[in-house]
Amino acid sequence: MHRKLWCRFAVVLVLSSTMLAVKVGESAPNFQATDSNGQAHQLSKYHGKFVVLEWHNNGCPYTQKHYESGNMQHLQKEWTGKGVVWFTVISSAPGQQGYVTAAQENEYLKNMKASPTAALLDPQGEVGKLYSAKTTPHMFIINPDGALIYDGAIDDKPTTEESDIASAKNYVSQALEEATAGKSVSVPTSRPYGCSVKYVH
Amino acid sequence: MLHRFVYGFLLVALLGMPWPVIAVWQGPADQHAKLALVSEQDALVAGKTLWLGIQFDLQDGWHTYWSNPGDSGEAPRIEWQLPPGFQADEIHWPYPERLPVPPFMDYGYAHEVLLPVSLTVPSNLKDVDSMRLAARVNYLVCREVCIPGKKQVELSLPVRKDSGPSAAREQFEATRRRLPKPVPHDWKVSAASAGGEFVLTVKAGHSLEAPQFFPLEEEQIENAAPQEAKRISGGVRLHLKKSKHLTKPPTRLRGVVVTGVDKAYLVDVAVSQSRPEGSM
Repeated sequence: MHRKLWCRFAVVLVLSSTMLAVKVGESAPNFQATDSNGQAHQLSKYHGKFVVLEWHNNGCPYTQKHYESGNMQHLQKEWTGKGVVWFTVISSAPGQQGYVTAAQENEYLKNMKASPTAALLDPQGEVGKLYSAKTTPHMFIINPDGALIYDGAIDDKPTTEESDIASAKNYVSQALEEATAGKSVSVPTSRPYGCSVKYVH
Repeated sequence: MLHRFVYGFLLVALLGMPWPVIAVWQGPADQHAKLALVSEQDALVAGKTLWLGIQFDLQDGWHTYWSNPGDSGEAPRIEWQLPPGFQADEIHWPYPERLPVPPFMDYGYAHEVLLPVSLTVPSNLKDVDSMRLAARVNYLVCREVCIPGKKQVELSLPVRKDSGPSAAREQFEATRRRLPKPVPHDWKVSAASAGGEFVLTVKAGHSLEAPQFFPLEEEQIENAAPQEAKRISGGVRLHLKKSKHLTKPPTRLRGVVVTGVDKAYLVDVAVSQSRPEGSM
């Protein structure tokens, strides 16, 4: 009887340590990261607000599609203007494509006229791996209660073509529009598309 | 002021030059992948189906993607430019290899691959010396970084009463062996949903080498998770970790099971609900 109980306990322990990937509907894991201005941010400090996490690599053609078109900047401006907290997250390891120093990121934000709340520098990939961020871009949305309500692609046209943006369904805007209106998110997950995140390994 | 005149003059001069009718798009992707449109036979025969293929010759270290690219990447797409009456069907995908992108996993091809397509040739072919078949291929090649490519490929073939094999025939035959086959009649394949995984049971009447499962649907299994294979009498049982993106339990499991070189089988089975094996 006792052996069965220990067995169960041991299995739960092993399983919980391997099942790190958060699922939509669950509590979004808290993280701490420093932005390109040297300021520290903790997800828990933003309880009560919608938070968008945007995984980013300025050299990836899929990221470039959304930046050269102005699409990402437009989304950042629209939603931060409505009180949403928007974090651009860069998990590229030093020496890998997309890695930037704080100064380089600030220069990029200025040149691109991007306006996230902050750009979080995650070169060790801690935040990326906590969320299982796979691609750039990969979008996550956390609601004011701290639950993950969206995890996936920015839109439904998984290409590098800027011309696909206008006719694409933007999953981020759709989820935020629905959630802010108190409705359930109709498309909570989708396959994120883009280049693989260049993690340290 | 003079420089404006010079630039203007150059622009006009360039526009006036006799560019080739078919512009070949030379982008950076071209440095890492050579693409060509090839056919299995050396001529078009009225009313006779012909196999065409897009040939990718990839530089060492570079790869391109399968129909389900996995956790990142993008499958190649073909936009055909064919004479009236001709029709090309979908790509027949050879089985891929696993392409690790730690901590994730993609599916695709390294070195070289031929993507065959069946071409319907009309029975009322014009009596011409040759016909031009062309396509624009949108693709992605990656190594540590990814480069999107757009390649215009074309092939001119004569119209004849009979055709013989082309130089690419052997490559078509080798590729055919890599296409997933239907499961043999005497095999029994079943799938069950068991907690956090799918259990795929393949009974072949003989032992099977540790198989690899390549999912045809995106977001059903965790692509990077090891696929634990357990030997059972007359077959094998594969444990496939479910994707965290699964919001609704799928009713079918579709994929390619590879049990050895040129031994790929198309699996498409209903998923039954069952208690996890060995539950305590």
